[in-house]
Amino acid sequence: MNFYRRLSFLIALLCFCASLRGQDTIGVWGMLKDTVTLEASAVTAKSKEQTLREGAYAVNAVNINTQAATLQSLTQAIDRTSGIRIREEGGVGSDFDLSINGMGGNSIRYFLDGMPLDAKGSGVTLSNLPVNLIERVEIYKGVIPASFGSDALGGAVNIITSRHRRNYLDFSYGAGSFHTHKADFRAQYTGKRTGLIIRPVVSAHYSKNDYLMRDVKVRNEERTAFIITDLPRFHDGYLSLFGQIEAGFSGRKWADDFFVSASASKVDKEVQTGATQSYVVGMAERKTRSLNLSARYSKRGFLAENLDFSAMASHTWDHSQTIDTTYRRYYWDGTYIEGSYSEIRHRGKTLRNYYRPMTIVRGNFDWHLADNHSLTLNYLLNRTGNRQDDEWDLDYVPTDDVLTKHIIGLAYNQVLFGGRMDNAFFAKDYVNHLEVGQSEFPSTTGAATVEPVSTRNYIGYGLGSRFEIDAHFSLKGSYEHSVRLPVSREVLGNGSTVYPNLALSPEISENFNLGLFGAWDLGGGHVISYEANGFVRLVDNYIQATVSETEGMMQYVNVAAVHIKGVDGEIRYDWAGKLHLGANASYDDCRDQREFNQDGTPSITYRNHTPNRPWAFCNAEAAYTFREVGLPDSRLRIGADYQWVHWFFVTWEAYGSARTKPRIPAQHLVNASLLYSWMGGRYNVSLECTNLLNVLSFDNYMLQKPGRAFFLKFRLFL
Amino acid sequence: MKALKHLLLILTVAMVSMMSMASSCEKQPEPEPKPEIKDYNFDLFVCAVKHGGMSKNKNGTYVRSVSALTADQPMVEFTGKGIDITEDFTLESITRGKYYYQVPQRATGGFVKFHIERNAAGEESIVEDAEVPFKDNTFDARKYTHAWIGDSTTLVLVGTDAKHTKIFWTKLAESNLAVQSEGTFNITLPEKYGSFSTSGLLTYRKSDKKLYYFYLTKLAAGISDAATSVTHIAVINPETMAVESDTAVPFDVMEETAGSAYGELMQSMIFYDEADNMYVAGLKTINDQEMGILRRIPVGKTTFDASWNGFPNPEGKLLTVQYLGDGKVLSYSREETLGTKIDSKSHFYSIINLSDCTRSRVKFNGQDLQYCGGRFSQRSAVVNGKAYIGVGGEVEGADEATNPTIYIYDCKTGAVEKGVELSKGFCFDIIRAMEAK
Repeated sequence: MNFYRRLSFLIALLCFCASLRGQDTIGVWGMLKDTVTLEASAVTAKSKEQTLREGAYAVNAVNINTQAATLQSLTQAIDRTSGIRIREEGGVGSDFDLSINGMGGNSIRYFLDGMPLDAKGSGVTLSNLPVNLIERVEIYKGVIPASFGSDALGGAVNIITSRHRRNYLDFSYGAGSFHTHKADFRAQYTGKRTGLIIRPVVSAHYSKNDYLMRDVKVRNEERTAFIITDLPRFHDGYLSLFGQIEAGFSGRKWADDFFVSASASKVDKEVQTGATQSYVVGMAERKTRSLNLSARYSKRGFLAENLDFSAMASHTWDHSQTIDTTYRRYYWDGTYIEGSYSEIRHRGKTLRNYYRPMTIVRGNFDWHLADNHSLTLNYLLNRTGNRQDDEWDLDYVPTDDVLTKHIIGLAYNQVLFGGRMDNAFFAKDYVNHLEVGQSEFPSTTGAATVEPVSTRNYIGYGLGSRFEIDAHFSLKGSYEHSVRLPVSREVLGNGSTVYPNLALSPEISENFNLGLFGAWDLGGGHVISYEANGFVRLVDNYIQATVSETEGMMQYVNVAAVHIKGVDGEIRYDWAGKLHLGANASYDDCRDQREFNQDGTPSITYRNHTPNRPWAFCNAEAAYTFREVGLPDSRLRIGADYQWVHWFFVTWEAYGSARTKPRIPAQHLVNASLLYSWMGGRYNVSLECTNLLNVLSFDNYMLQKPGRAFFLKFRLFL
Repeated sequence: MKALKHLLLILTVAMVSMMSMASSCEKQPEPEPKPEIKDYNFDLFVCAVKHGGMSKNKNGTYVRSVSALTADQPMVEFTGKGIDITEDFTLESITRGKYYYQVPQRATGGFVKFHIERNAAGEESIVEDAEVPFKDNTFDARKYTHAWIGDSTTLVLVGTDAKHTKIFWTKLAESNLAVQSEGTFNITLPEKYGSFSTSGLLTYRKSDKKLYYFYLTKLAAGISDAATSVTHIAVINPETMAVESDTAVPFDVMEETAGSAYGELMQSMIFYDEADNMYVAGLKTINDQEMGILRRIPVGKTTFDASWNGFPNPEGKLLTVQYLGDGKVLSYSREETLGTKIDSKSHFYSIINLSDCTRSRVKFNGQDLQYCGGRFSQRSAVVNGKAYIGVGGEVEGADEATNPTIYIYDCKTGAVEKGVELSKGFCFDIIRAMEAK
């Protein structure tokens, strides 16, 4: 309660100061008006991405639209930005983990136009969203605006879809190595008389992912000894289908935008390996089916002239299935022996169904108090069901739990000194409501002590500020006391390999960012821009997966703390839109702060670097664009990029000899691309080569990534 | 006439008894002196965060190899030292000479033979000497039992299928692990019982040249109450692998063997004395609590002597037993009232005197060695007349924690001296005495 009082007082004080300042500067404002207009005209020349980068928050903004003709997936573009690292387990459609400034996994939240991406279904991820659909991606590092209604701890990725006023048709098809095919279609049609806008999207991605695995162990012909050889993957097929239709109106009196949409997705994935590639899987599969209905509405000047309102509502029927019904143990040549445990769970056979209906409701009010002052109130409801049953294991007792989150955000934004300073202050209230149906293993899961229905409340708050010292040098800083509520898998388990922990507390983190950025126009079309950020994350109640004493079972528990400090930076050079050079580098120092083990004994890993995570990496890219090459209104873009990741240990520094302990080797990956487009970008053909040098690379322990691969893509935009 | 009948009866009984005794004496082999290992190392296994053993410790298992465990040695440091075996190998293993034999953790589907080497800088590495794929019978890592036959040139492995309803065996050549032969025992589940124990316990007795296979029949697979299981003893011809006899052990003699899922890959539960009497650690329910029991199969017999119990008035479960010679046994058992979890500090060492079935805690300077965590540990090794006993060192609360320490028990004199210490921070689980060459 004290906090609310303090916050209310703080906001009131700021409003008062701002209003006073507003009155004081009326004359100055008037005098500066022309200047501001001039500056504004300069500002309008900036891209949305640049504008976002120059805001109060630490943000990476990536323009996807300009790369869509060559990109295979969003992850490819995001992985090249500063402070971001994506670790993939294999080829197309493989599981991945995105980390922002050292924090990954569930501490990162994903949004599609401000709505949680989960609403599209659990099978829809950054790796299979149609690239053509995307305008840009905003990556918030550590501190996240209240308007997202998010409980993210490490950051948020907001994917912004393209919005065109005119009708269009956008189709692309690409084919590449390892039997990969990707087709994306989207269009917009506006009824001339009704003004009804219809936007269909269809996407189909398929890959056999049969890339070569090097130095794998198989039996000789007589099956009396092992031999080492290279063999293609044989059970890693991936099929993703996504369809969506959106219909509604824009620019009406009663709504700036009102759309309803329906989408469906289907993802089928064969499983090829376990945690390491010595566990070869030959039959297990995962399937996901989702159906989503949603509506969104926005209106500037809603009820009052200075009040904007937007709202969204969505319901998703999500059904995923894990098929793990054989005891076979496969070799890389596709032969097998009969074993005594299943391929994924390493236990009995299962055909497990997961039903996770999700309802999301979001409302957002923006109240423009004055020209440079606004107040934002945001509410988000996220209700996720968790019903599980098993078609094979008839002894399995079905579960039915519900996790509901209410997140209320209040933010005050101000622009001072004629736009040279931006400030944002925000507070968030998180309400976690849990209804537990399961009662198995009460002492392990906490069901014995936790009430079957419980509601908990948590508070988060923060601020962001930017100050422009001069045209070339601006400073920005942000802070958030952030809270991440546990996701359903962490609290409720997965019904098979993860025990519930109903007593799990949210993660709490103090996130700090301090950055400087600027740009120089050197004349003659030469522009240099730069950005450097320092960050600190002090995480408490860190949610960590632990292995239970019972064989193979895991459980998420709260551990004391992890501290991350680091820096990342980026420099870009552009010459008249022809030559583009860019490089970024990231370094973070993440250390374990647990001084004692659970039993009270001193922890040997205290202040050790956290293992099994990349901590130093960089990207460099170069591209040159030729104009009017051959066909009219054409351009030819030749580009290459290089990625380097420092090697890292798989286990804690304190564990075992550094000489012999497992490590992920350094990665040096070079990719190259060629794009030719003509008729102003209506027709595009691109050829991309990833892992040009065909080097052996790993992101996760002993899980080989694909070698050299080619992808040819044609895009038509009418 | 009546007196004559009595006399004849007495004479007959006396004759039979004498013949029987003579026969027994003839069968009884000369006590074999324990072979001395001239040059040996001690491989010390520790686990991170929690005690390992039988639970797929994902936190990591690390091994250091040292030449001596006496107090004059420098502290055995584990922080940033030792070989990490977690991904490839299991803590549980068969050992002989300098070699380890196991079904590895990595899922390549076969058997592996390796040894641990130490370079001049004292850094350990693993050298793989042989690896062969399974033939038809497939074993899971850790879930099998073993015995050596044919002057230790052949290794016999026994395991069960996925549902634990069939018991199969495989014979491997010691030298290159080539599969010599394999098959399935003619043992079927009795009615009402749903599964066999995961591995059972296999042992080879030299005096009668037979394999003894101890297994359980359980109502269902998984952990079960000892009171609902039945222990069986199958006597097997090692040449033909035919089951010659299969006897159910009465409940009041033994309900379960001390371990039945992971053989003796880690914990020693069977030993022989100089006369080749076989001793087996087991469980019996007393006052609704599973308690330890030590039973004996006398030489020449194939079933337990129901009248003999080497572990009377138990404080809890008897976990490991190792023969020290001259009728003395080193036992590792649990005080149930102090906790029954894997990491509970309730485990302790005693010396059992087989002649009178008494036991006493192992003491140093008149004080009992402290209680340790580690239900699945074998932190003791017996070599060259000495027992090297590891005490965990973990005591709740940082200030109370002491270094894990080795104590050296002289098997002849019973004297105990303090040995080397290990650095703090890991859970000490195994000592293995290995030939150095």
